[in-house]
Amino acid sequence: MSNITEQLLRGTSKGVGAKAALALEDGTVFFGTSCGAAGEAFGEICFNTSLEGYLEVISDPSYAGQIITLTYPQIGNYGVNLEDAQSGKPALRGLVVRDMCATPSNWRSDMALGEYLERNGVVAIEDVDTRALVRHVRDHGAQRAIISTVDDDAESLLAKVRASESIVGRNLAATVSCERPYAHTAHDMPDSVRFALAEVPDARFKVIAYDCGVKRSILDGLVRAGCSVTCVPWDTPAEDVLAQHPDGVFLSNGPGDPDAVSGTYSQVEKLLGKVPMFGICLGHQMMGKAAGADIEKLKFGHRGGNHPVMNLLTRRVEITAQNHGFGVLFPSMGELVPELSGGYTEHHDDLRFWVRAGIAPVVRNERFGRIRLTHVNLNDGTVEGVAFLDVPAFCVQYHPEAAPGPTDAHYLFTAFARLMEGRKDYLDIDIAADRLAGWRFGAEATKELANA
Amino acid sequence: MPKRNDIETILVIGSGPIVIGQACEFDYSGTQACKVLKDEGYRVVLVNSNPATIMTDPAMADRTYVEPITAEFIERVIAREHPDALLPTLGGQTGLNAAVELAESGILEKYGVEMIGCDLEAINRGEDRKLFNECMAELGIETARSDYAYRVEDALAIVEKLGYPVVLRPSFTMGGAGGGIAHNEEELRLIVSQGLELSPAGEVLVEESIKGWKEYEMEVMRDKAGNGIIVCSIENLDAMGVHTGDSITVAPAQTLSDVEYQRMRAASLAILEKVGVETGGSNVQFAVNPENGRMVVIEMNPRVSRSSALASKATGFPIAKAAARLAVGYTLDEIVNDITKATPACFEPSIDYCVVKVPRFAFEKFQGADDVLSTRMKAVGEVMAIGRTFEEALGKAMRSLENGRAGLNADGKCKEILGQDGFDELVGRPTQDRIFYMAEALRRGWGAQRLHEATGIDPWFIDRMRDIVTIEENLRGMSLDRLDAQAFRLLKRMGLSDVQIGHLTGADELEVRARRKQLGIVPAFKTVDTCAAEFPGTTAYHYKTYDADENEAVPTPGRKSVMILGAGPNRIGQGIEFDYCCVHASYALRDAGYETIMVNCNPETVSTDYDTSDKLYFEPLTFEDVMDIVDIEQPEGVVVTLGGQTPLKLAAALQEAGVNIMGTKPEAIDLAEDRDRFRAVCDELAIAYPAAGQATTIDQARKVAADIGFPLLVRPSYVLGGRGMGIVYNDGQLKRYMAEAAKITPDHPVYLDRFLEGAVELDLDALCDGTETYVGAIMEHIEMAGIHSGDSACCTPPFSLSDAIQAQLRSIARRLALRLGVVGLLNIQFAIKDQVIYMIEANPRASRTVPFASKATGVPLAQAAARIMAGESIADLHLPSDERRLDHFSVKEAVMPFGRFPGADTILGPEMKSTGEVMGIAENFPCAFDKTQLAISYKLPEGGTVFVSVCDRDKRGIVPIARDFVRLGFRIVATEGTSRALRAAGVDCTPVKKISEGAPNVLDMLIAGEIALMINTPFGHATRDDGYELRTEAVKHGVTQITTLAGAQAMAAGLEAMRANGLSAIALQDLPQHPLPLEGGSAR
Repeated sequence: MSNITEQLLRGTSKGVGAKAALALEDGTVFFGTSCGAAGEAFGEICFNTSLEGYLEVISDPSYAGQIITLTYPQIGNYGVNLEDAQSGKPALRGLVVRDMCATPSNWRSDMALGEYLERNGVVAIEDVDTRALVRHVRDHGAQRAIISTVDDDAESLLAKVRASESIVGRNLAATVSCERPYAHTAHDMPDSVRFALAEVPDARFKVIAYDCGVKRSILDGLVRAGCSVTCVPWDTPAEDVLAQHPDGVFLSNGPGDPDAVSGTYSQVEKLLGKVPMFGICLGHQMMGKAAGADIEKLKFGHRGGNHPVMNLLTRRVEITAQNHGFGVLFPSMGELVPELSGGYTEHHDDLRFWVRAGIAPVVRNERFGRIRLTHVNLNDGTVEGVAFLDVPAFCVQYHPEAAPGPTDAHYLFTAFARLMEGRKDYLDIDIAADRLAGWRFGAEATKELANA
Repeated sequence: MPKRNDIETILVIGSGPIVIGQACEFDYSGTQACKVLKDEGYRVVLVNSNPATIMTDPAMADRTYVEPITAEFIERVIAREHPDALLPTLGGQTGLNAAVELAESGILEKYGVEMIGCDLEAINRGEDRKLFNECMAELGIETARSDYAYRVEDALAIVEKLGYPVVLRPSFTMGGAGGGIAHNEEELRLIVSQGLELSPAGEVLVEESIKGWKEYEMEVMRDKAGNGIIVCSIENLDAMGVHTGDSITVAPAQTLSDVEYQRMRAASLAILEKVGVETGGSNVQFAVNPENGRMVVIEMNPRVSRSSALASKATGFPIAKAAARLAVGYTLDEIVNDITKATPACFEPSIDYCVVKVPRFAFEKFQGADDVLSTRMKAVGEVMAIGRTFEEALGKAMRSLENGRAGLNADGKCKEILGQDGFDELVGRPTQDRIFYMAEALRRGWGAQRLHEATGIDPWFIDRMRDIVTIEENLRGMSLDRLDAQAFRLLKRMGLSDVQIGHLTGADELEVRARRKQLGIVPAFKTVDTCAAEFPGTTAYHYKTYDADENEAVPTPGRKSVMILGAGPNRIGQGIEFDYCCVHASYALRDAGYETIMVNCNPETVSTDYDTSDKLYFEPLTFEDVMDIVDIEQPEGVVVTLGGQTPLKLAAALQEAGVNIMGTKPEAIDLAEDRDRFRAVCDELAIAYPAAGQATTIDQARKVAADIGFPLLVRPSYVLGGRGMGIVYNDGQLKRYMAEAAKITPDHPVYLDRFLEGAVELDLDALCDGTETYVGAIMEHIEMAGIHSGDSACCTPPFSLSDAIQAQLRSIARRLALRLGVVGLLNIQFAIKDQVIYMIEANPRASRTVPFASKATGVPLAQAAARIMAGESIADLHLPSDERRLDHFSVKEAVMPFGRFPGADTILGPEMKSTGEVMGIAENFPCAFDKTQLAISYKLPEGGTVFVSVCDRDKRGIVPIARDFVRLGFRIVATEGTSRALRAAGVDCTPVKKISEGAPNVLDMLIAGEIALMINTPFGHATRDDGYELRTEAVKHGVTQITTLAGAQAMAAGLEAMRANGLSAIALQDLPQHPLPLEGGSAR
């Protein structure tokens, strides 16, 4: 930084940060300023388009192995409330923002985001033209990248990034799973969201959750749906799970390439049909893998809080939170069952065909019988959810727990409870009627705050 | 669900004249709706009384009725056009109210018209406070807590629960009279006891105060399948207590964490569902307690609103367009995102920039009005700015306001600020200038907490402002040469303008620009694409930033382009009329084969719809910002003469910088504006003008007055809308004017013209291509000389001028246009006194009468002007003869905002005060005039008492008019002098005392609602006397006032005609229309 620039910045909230650089494996380099921990970080560059909820993104274990660019330019405005974090420690490799706020303002804020990143050793860079970066990633695809606060030589950075490991084929879930089982119950609900969220009901279901890097809000969502949850490591044998006689098994979200997580999906194959199951994100992919489906790597993934997904059963569109770089290929799950698919026998790669046809098609899967396509992404026609018709299981690619993002799909937690109750119509829920479920407004909340 | 095929014809109701709180955002939404419905194959019938709108262009709808928006008139239109459906949600509150009246009176049922987009019950649940609160209670969502008190003791008991302070609102009092805020028991007892007395129901609402809370708006859309989306969240910089239309607002919300935001989102969608908004856009407002996150819903509007226009511009998501499609049966997922063309509209836009809206006020026009901002909207316009950060956007917004400022202070234009006590108060009080006082406070070292406590504004915004101010102060006094590239980039990223950098470093703007470019610090243009670049966009909607790693705007290869500079924020004197002209130029130049590039910063307008021009740059209209676009686009030429004063004042600097100014050259503009040179031109052409002089001191002014005599019309040079104009009748007034005038434009002299009292004024709009001149319309003013032409009603063709005089006027216009070198539009104002034609002024640019004149004559003048500027000749355009006779009369009447400014004098004068206009078309002048009165007041007096008070000059002329009113069954009361004149002529009337003559007097009658119409012609200088008080009360009670004999006569004749035959509804398509030929001439 030049002397004159330092002189101009004197007395502002913008510290005179160290110089930092971001280099992509295709040779693109951006320079900026360090705004987190010092050091060097490697990961896959990707971007998230959520307008708020940066902490939830940063602390989501599914970002293990990645460098996240946040498309909204000013980040850190409302600080950090530690209880909003989705895990104890961020798993992402690095963060890229346009402008980091050092003077946050919000009644729930514990600290500034920069401080949080530094404490957690997350390397971060600001002052980057993030829109230019995002357009580059959009056009050239996700790729390896490096952020460095110690090296600003483009040649040297490129050499390093090209020598780094790719996330394709890596089992990142294992790195963010738990060491041993642990419980998550009503006692684990954070206090600082009580002003906004409804009281927790009594637990009616015993649920075992495969923790492949589970987000805290998913566990909270299960507890709020009446579950008492026990999280188990990603590769827990199916027999051990069944031995505990759970009412249901949940498959969590998680990072990276699903093909590499055979330790989980091989167990899922054994569990399907034996116990009601629900999967989110990686959990959805695990069910897909268990059913023998093929996986594709998306060009630059779905990461944000505004993806429209149509529920083919209700024809309602949900605005959803998403975070995945890989997807299940629905046609690979089996041949269409024409009598349950409006007479169609031909698969279509772009699943918006079914949206236009007004049909929720069904395939016959070799291992688990009939599987229905229930949810489709309206932006690109990829699969967002399926329901098994002959075994009690369903899963979605997106995030009903949101955090961050819209909570339109909150009903899926209720659906899981209904599935465990044995209801056939478990997915048949009006999202409008479910809209305010789980929230708390008004006087009641304030009174409690006053008493607290 | 696909679109409905069971309806063919759809009636759309517009929002009528521009008034405060309901401006041209409804032209934007209405135009979008009409376009969409026509595209979908429906027959569109439109009713809107506002001629200055794009939506009332005959091409926008199949049948266009520029008629009063009353149930009676709309019924006439329905009877004639047989619409199947009525779309009421795009015409603001006026459109909604009219629809409600039509529904409730059974008219819709009678003609089998279905209301689409919203039903009556939903409108009522949204608008009726009590029903709305019940809905919220059922949802469990809080509204501000309140209860009714019928005794002081009740109020005390309620306060026990709510705590102080409380807001007290007596029920059913006029304009909220008797209300207030009580901070303690003493105040409570006082206000409640007074309020109980004032309230006809003996009832006072005691409500908890949420003043100082954070305020948010959510723009929501819903379709009939039940899909709901949030298009945009908006956070008000100003805390609760300032109307959101008067607040600086920011999109997206800045200081809400995810859990807070998502709760608000879920509540917004649930509220729409509960209220029953079947399809379309709505806006929901919330207040959030910054201490504990408690959220209270303030209100919702079950229709598109000002904020939905803002949200559309802020995100690129066209709410009104989508709302129109949803109303005819589509669902959100069936509509394609306009910008990506690949993804559906059923999503929530993600933006990767910050948007700041700043309101524009006009208090300088309303002496005596309270300039403290409150819950009643006072802004007349707004600007929007886009930057990558709040800092960058705020800096742009502050230089977009057209108030002479170049940014957030540090521009050498800071107002002088008083001592410490006065200063604290300036910072604490919400006014239009508070943002500047806050910046000054930060400069003086106030901490964020202190400033937050003084203003209630969230510390986040204050900290951002503090960074800006700190950097400004760090820069102050440095030399320009010391700045390196990195420092320059920092300054620009913090939103500083070249003018500010120049001011702080002692350089001028051009030096800064040259140095900056030399260092390689040039901006980039990014795109508003609804999706934060996740998907490729195809729409060229750009903004400038100094995040310049990548520039997304490039000239289109192989296309000639033209840049049109818009009019900036709406303010009095520069309104929607200029936007109309810019939009028409864009249409015409596109037809002529050019790529069109629009530059403007006003989010309310049609010009800033990304659909209007090939490219849209949402940028301030300053030299720096315009030149940055020119540098990128390299347009063939720039149009500066259609957007009013804003682009015109850039003309010379742009030309000097090598830009080709299209049409009339800056030299010609200067020739018309320079008084001496212009008078020389008039002398040369033997055109008479009122005797005049100029002065910079009082002594010089006195000398001029001695030469030409009183009364004098006095004004500063280079003004629009008569800013700072006045009529002085004596030396004392002259002295006062000179003392005040010096503050307005210190470097320019004051002009003093002989004022032609009692003359008839005229407006003339003409086109000239350099060899031929075409007179578009001659408009005869109804008010006498001395009333600003923008405030005067006028009629075309003239109702009292001989063919010979009109021919003479045309001849003068032809000579003058050619002599000045006009290529495009020319507006001339004439006065005729004692058969002599005087030239008052000539402006070689679009005037505010162009849209009206175009609609009255069927000739699209602004389009023709644009084509002429692009090189076509008048002969190429095949215009009808300008000497042809029209079979109909069109009247334009101005609409005043006095109701919004209690205390401001309502008398008209040379300074323009109106915000909007209406048009009436009829077979004769009186009927057309009556239509305009009906369009403004929504009802005309049918009987009762007319109060008459005229000046001596008019005592003779009033007699036959009064006789007409008596014949029509009215009773006349008159002041003593007037009544003596009337009785002497045998007209029956009752004398009534003036206010100064003691009680009971005319004021008592007015307050008691006994006066149906006031005819009051003032003469001489207005003072705070009888007239003032009377006029103010008339505004308060909504009594129609007529201030000229011509108006009074027209009113009487119109009432008579109306009784005989009724007023018929006329569609523009019934009148001769002369669209321009599509094939251009030499421009191709």
